Parts: sequence; structure tokens; C-alpha cells
Amino acid sequence: MSAELAMLPTKDEIARRPEQVRVIGEVTALMFQRYAIAVGDLNPIYFDNAAAQAAGYPGIVAPPNFLTSVLGWQAGPAESDLLADGTEASIVAPELRGLRLMGGGNELTFGQPVVPGAVVTARRKLVDLYERAAKFGPLIFAVSDVVYTDQHGNHLVTCRETYIAAR
Amino acid sequence: MTTSTTRSERFFEDVAVGTELPALAKVPTTVQLFRYSAVTWNAHRIHYEKEYAIQEGHPDVLVQAHLHGAFLAQMIGDWMGPRGRLVSFGWSNRGRAIPGDTLTCTGRVVGKRTEGSRHLVDLEVVETNQRSETCAPGKATVALPSREA
Repeated sequence: MSAELAMLPTKDEIARRPEQVRVIGEVTALMFQRYAIAVGDLNPIYFDNAAAQAAGYPGIVAPPNFLTSVLGWQAGPAESDLLADGTEASIVAPELRGLRLMGGGNELTFGQPVVPGAVVTARRKLVDLYERAAKFGPLIFAVSDVVYTDQHGNHLVTCRETYIAAR
Repeated sequence: MTTSTTRSERFFEDVAVGTELPALAKVPTTVQLFRYSAVTWNAHRIHYEKEYAIQEGHPDVLVQAHLHGAFLAQMIGDWMGPRGRLVSFGWSNRGRAIPGDTLTCTGRVVGKRTEGSRHLVDLEVVETNQRSETCAPGKATVALPSREA
């Protein structure tokens, strides 16, 4: 498996990769309420302004991992821009392209709550890319830091995101 | 739809190291997975196309990594009450889950401290399946209101 390992960039090469900045769009109440419904999380702070205000918010807010769960933003990629597995040509790291992907987890640090009308920008930086032996063969771990802010410059959430890829 | 579920206030003073969070059990269905992929604009075929998932070596379509996290976040949100605030929350996806699995989220308080005006509580949480296999362990820090504030 050393040949595969050799394809991964060095720490220095990873550090030199540019941050990717994307305006990912405006968050609406409908978007995050559908998200909450899909999860089955009917917390009234997502649906009811009075309940959210009683809880100390200006109004309804999005569920905590809503923003960081959405994989395609703006209008999203055309089907012809998706890979055979249905994922977008990897924005995480080109090394993962064509591999079998799984989410590996998130570490979220929260700032201001996400409210309807927030226009969100995400800044993504690859911080680590490494290979580990596993039961069924080598796995590649790609770790990125993604910082989400709104149009007022408020910090919404920072996500340390791990993807796991297998050949 | 109803959102009338009442969530009681949770105060910092009422929490101690060792306090357990009420468990939350979820049984994801293919309908849930489809809707979660739809609202997150996630076209990854392993979540809705069983034949494709099997081709990738999975037993069935898989529960999305972020949905495991959402279940843990729901349990924490229910427990911390309306004036609780998530400060940080993280989980790792360690085990796969498929529709029909019973995923049970549990958690307990492992620390509490006051930093400035914030009353912080540290939690360890975990989501396990019906075979008691770990799917998603995690940690969170929440800020709770104080009775003295």
C-alpha cells in the first residue's frame, strides 16, 4: 500500500493549498424547517417565533448541524457534474475523487445562531490528509476546517470535518 | 404539524457530574433517509440506492453521517431546555447503520464549570444500535442558565 500512500501530499503541500471560499446562499425558514422535519426534531425554537423568543432568541433559529450537513449549495451542481456515485467532484481534496466516500464526523464550534435571511459564506481549508490501515484495506482520512459566516460578518459555526475514503 | 412538545428549563445548579440525559431512540426508515438527502442536497447514491450501496460493500443504504450527528444533537437539545445553548458539539462516525436499525442516543454529564458569566456543562454522548454496537460517540459543551443570574 506504500504506492497509494506516496500519492498523498506532504504536510507542507497541504498547508500551501489555498482556502476555498464559497457564497453558499441564503438560508430560509423553509429550508431548515424541512431539515428539522426530516430529522424528526420538532423543537419549537425551529418553528415558532414566540417559543424562540421566550428562549432568548430573536426568532426561530436553524437546528445546530443544519448548515454543516448541507452538501450542495446555491442551486447545486447539475447531474452531469456529479460523479458516478452521485457526489460532487470532490471539493474536499482531489485525491478522494472516484473513491468510496463516507462521512467520518464533525466537530462544531458555534457562534451566532443561524436565522432566516442569513446569507452564508463558507471558507474551507484542508488541514490533513492521511492513510490508515483498516480491516478491509487502507482508508484515507481527509480533514478540513470550514468556517461559516453571514453577510454581517458574524461567525455562525466552525466545522472540523472528516471524510473517510476507501479504494 | 404539531410543535407543542414542552421542554422544561434546565438550570446549571440542577446538574451534577454523572447526571444522565434521557435516552432518545430513533428508527430511521428509507423515507427518512430520502428526505434527509433531499433537504441536504446530498445525491450520494449509498443513501437511496440499495444495489449501489451493496456494490460499495454495504449491507443496505446507509444512514447519513450527518443524520447520526443530528440525532445526538436532538437529544442534547431536548435535555438542555430552551435557554440552553450548544457551545460545541462533535461526533465520530464509527459504525454504519441501515434503515430499521434502532439507534439509541444516550449521554451523561462529565464536567461543569463557570467561565466568566457562562455556566458550562461538558457531556459525553453516544449513539448505539440494537446490538449495543457503537455507531457515533461524541462530546458536547453546553451553556445553561443559572438560578442565580
